[in-house]
Parts: sequence; C-alpha cells; structure tokens
Amino acid sequence: MWRNLKSIINSQYTILFFRLILGGIFIYASLDKIAHPEQFAQIVYNYKILPHSLINIFTIVMPWVELICGIFVIGGIFVESSSAILSLLLVSFIIALSANFLRGLDMNCGCFSTDPQGKKEGAILLIRDFFLLAIGLQIFFGNSRFATLTSVFNRLFNKPRNSEVVRMNDA
Amino acid sequence: MIVLRHKKTTEHVKRDFASIFLKAVGIVIFASILAFSYNNFSDRGISLKGSWSNKILSDSLIVPHSYQKGDPQAITLSEAMMEFQSSNTIFLDARLEFDYKQGHIKGALNLPYEEFDEFYPKIAPKIPKDKTILAYCDGTECELSLLLARVLRDEGYQHLKVFFGGWAEWEKAGLPIDKGENP
Repeated sequence: MWRNLKSIINSQYTILFFRLILGGIFIYASLDKIAHPEQFAQIVYNYKILPHSLINIFTIVMPWVELICGIFVIGGIFVESSSAILSLLLVSFIIALSANFLRGLDMNCGCFSTDPQGKKEGAILLIRDFFLLAIGLQIFFGNSRFATLTSVFNRLFNKPRNSEVVRMNDA
Repeated sequence: MIVLRHKKTTEHVKRDFASIFLKAVGIVIFASILAFSYNNFSDRGISLKGSWSNKILSDSLIVPHSYQKGDPQAITLSEAMMEFQSSNTIFLDARLEFDYKQGHIKGALNLPYEEFDEFYPKIAPKIPKDKTILAYCDGTECELSLLLARVLRDEGYQHLKVFFGGWAEWEKAGLPIDKGENP
C-alpha cells in the first residue's frame, strides 16, 4: 500500500500535475499583485514584519519572482531552482503567518484583534501554504525531466541526458 | 560490472546544488530587472521607498502613515477626555464586534469598519449628523478609525474627529470603560 502510494507520488505524471498546480497558483496570485501594487503594499505593511524601508521593494519584486518561477515550473525550465525559490517563499509565508497568528494580528486590517474569525482565516491560509510547500518540495526532490522544455532543448541540440548515456551503455 | 554500472548511475543522479543555487540567484536577478522596469514604466508604479512610518504631528499626537491633509481632525488623549465630558459627542468604536464586546470606551457605539454595510443601518438613527462623532480603534498602528471617519464623511457627517491613541491609550490611562454588546 505504502509502496504503491510512494510510486504514485514519485511518478513523472504526478510531478507534472504538481508542477501545473504550483505554477498555476503562483502565476494567478502574482498577476493581481502586479496589477495592484498599492493594495499589495498595504497588505505587506499590514503583516508588520518587514522594516518600512523594504516594504515597497518587496512589493515590486516578489510578485515577479512568483510569476517567473511559476512560468518556469510549468514550462519546465530550471525546475529545481524555480521550485526551490517557490518553496522558500512558502516557508517565509508560513513563518510570517504563524508569527502573526501567535501575536493575534488581524492581517485584514493590520490591527491586533482577538476575533476568532480572523484566526480561522489565518489557519486556512496556513494549511494551504503547507500543502503547496509539500508539492514544491516533491517537485524539487522528484527531479523529473518529464515534459520539460529543458529536456526538449537537450534533445533538439543533441545533448543526451546522463540517463540516456547510461541506457546507451546498457545497450 | 553490474556494481560498476550501478555506481555510475548514482553518481549521475547526484545533484549539483551549487548550480541549482546559482540558477536560483539568476532567476531572482532576472525577475528583479523585469519588476523594476515594469514598475518604472507602468502608470501604477510605486516609489521604491514608501512612507510607512507614523507621522508625528506634535509631542502627544502621532498619526498613521496614511493620514492626509483634509482628513478628519486627529485628537490627543486629553482632547478625547474633554470630548468624553461633552454630551454633544458620540464615540464610535471601529473595531470588530468581538473586540468591542471584550472592552470599549464607556458609552461608545460599535460600528466596525470592516462590516460597515451591515452595522450602519442599525447605528445610523443613533448618530445624528449634527453631533460630533469621535472614531477610535485599537491604537496608533490601527487605521480602522481613520477609514471609518472617511466613510462617514462621505455619508454626510461634518463634525468628525479621530482619536488615534484609541482603546490602548484609553485603557492604559485607567479611564471609564465598559464591556458587552452595543446598547
């Protein structure tokens, strides 16, 4: 049973599916932030974690990192590096959310509140981020070259992959 | 022979973390160049250094970064205490209902900014437009009171004041408080 599950999770099709989910969510999330930088800056401010001097720079750069990594993860370009960046982003979101969860900060308004509804919303966000982090790490460690542009380029420019070399040796 | 080949494959699978890291740095630099260029040319672009710090209007009056000229008048704790004595002033608590129930300035009504549309019809008859309205929320870091006062200004209220010290300053000063639901 466990072995079956493991082989399903490690299958190249599952990893492709994970790439579509992770990349898709990050691309979707980044577009709104890129289109409305002022609103996003206010949200970053409301988290009350970054020093004031870094808020705008973070607001400008972070959505583009999300967008580029999302496109790379889906398209299969530098998948390991892109999924590593997205996983690191998720880890930092999880830390930020948990810190504010413990401080009792309502991120909708950036004010301290004891309202349980806000806690519930925070918990849902945390669960979502943990789920995405698991997907991101699986893409990173799964290291599958299936349906990636990198493998297409390698084939086009006749640069056989290591595994193919071994396979040829086998033959 | 088999062992040798096996060794060979594991060697191939071994990953080059330095190269992964360098590529990641490259991706971030690439994304940053795109980001700053877009921000520079977009008409929605923002300045690199925003003004997020609280503004200090006087020794005892600190207001949030978003407080602008033309916003309802900001007042200090001592001015709020004077308004508290006046029968012409109504205090409005802009925080969520849950926080209001836990404790609020005595006599204040709860009109949560985030649930304005739901609460306003119930509260509106209790706050005539000729009275002075004093909005407050949690404290200086909180902007709900300012946001509420701006909405009320759009509703036609003219005598608006914002007490940014809010619940935190009031409670700390040991001034009259109350608990429970909206009267």
